[in-house]
Amino acid sequence: MNECERIQESIGPWLDGELNSAECERVRTHVGSCPACLAAQQKIEKIDLALRSDLVAQAAKLEFAPFWRALERRISEPRPWYQEWRDRLVSAPRSAWAVPALIALLLAVWSFDSYFPGWRGGVAARSGFAAVDSIDAHGRSVALWRENETKTTVIWLYEEQEGEHETAEEAPKSGPAF
Amino acid sequence: MALSDSELVQKCQAGEMTAFQELASRYHQKVYMVILGLLRNREDALEVSQETFFRAFRKIGGFQGGSSFYTWIYRIAVNLAIDAQRRQKRNPLEFRESMDGLLESQDEVARDPFVDVHDRELRENLIKAINDLTPEHKAVIVLRTIEGLSYKDIGEILGCSEGTVMSRLHYARKKLHDKLSAFL
Repeated sequence: MNECERIQESIGPWLDGELNSAECERVRTHVGSCPACLAAQQKIEKIDLALRSDLVAQAAKLEFAPFWRALERRISEPRPWYQEWRDRLVSAPRSAWAVPALIALLLAVWSFDSYFPGWRGGVAARSGFAAVDSIDAHGRSVALWRENETKTTVIWLYEEQEGEHETAEEAPKSGPAF
Repeated sequence: MALSDSELVQKCQAGEMTAFQELASRYHQKVYMVILGLLRNREDALEVSQETFFRAFRKIGGFQGGSSFYTWIYRIAVNLAIDAQRRQKRNPLEFRESMDGLLESQDEVARDPFVDVHDRELRENLIKAINDLTPEHKAVIVLRTIEGLSYKDIGEILGCSEGTVMSRLHYARKKLHDKLSAFL
């Protein structure tokens, strides 16, 4: 990085008054004798001026009286009870931890069966647990099979043939849909 | 003699609505200007400005005075504006309309005979170039350029260090410079 590049990095902070006196002097001396760095300084000033004049002109049109009337009306509106609670919840210290904590809690509850088989007196520990139920009015059914030891779950969707529901004990004649 | 911001805050905390009105009258244009600089849409900026003061009113009871009132209210404003800007980015059609609206408003300004075509082109391209910056880069340049805030205050508002403010500002200015070099 040459001297001009170093100076040009400092021109912004220099114009912003954020450099110490020694650095200020270094930048001022260089800019005074270097046309390229002087041009860089003028460009920053021109951008700042264009941005400022644009926004100042827009903001000057904003009158206080209507702004305050609208704000005062909003402040004096009665608030529903749940908004007070929501505000308290949102502004509570460390509320950002609430969501991940809740997710972790739910995951812990869901995986409890896996980590502690038999905690419900052996019901959940049963291997090869299956459930069969019709899921719509068109005879399609779902079967779930779970093997606790290897933590394998098979979801089996199949379509019942006509009259099949009357002989539920029989094995399905058609194969699984997939 | 005019009361200081901190005296007005104390009066607000004691329940004096007129004190809050005085604070709002002092800062409504500045807050609006910062938000407009970030959103580039007058209607959205007005709505977010109202929301800023509404939230400030609701929360002023808990304001400890650890920072000045203006850095506190700018923090609320910038956070709301950045949220609104992210929503705006997710809806680019709405974003384009809002930009057109602002350019129309600039036509009114350009009717001034002393404003030449070159300056108008610069302003139009400046709007486009600023819209291409990330919300964080846009925030530093708006707070610095419009409000003339120190890096320390900007860091307090944005929740980052002075060094981060300096590097973001350098990056933002470089980007603007590169995009506007033809008009400078």
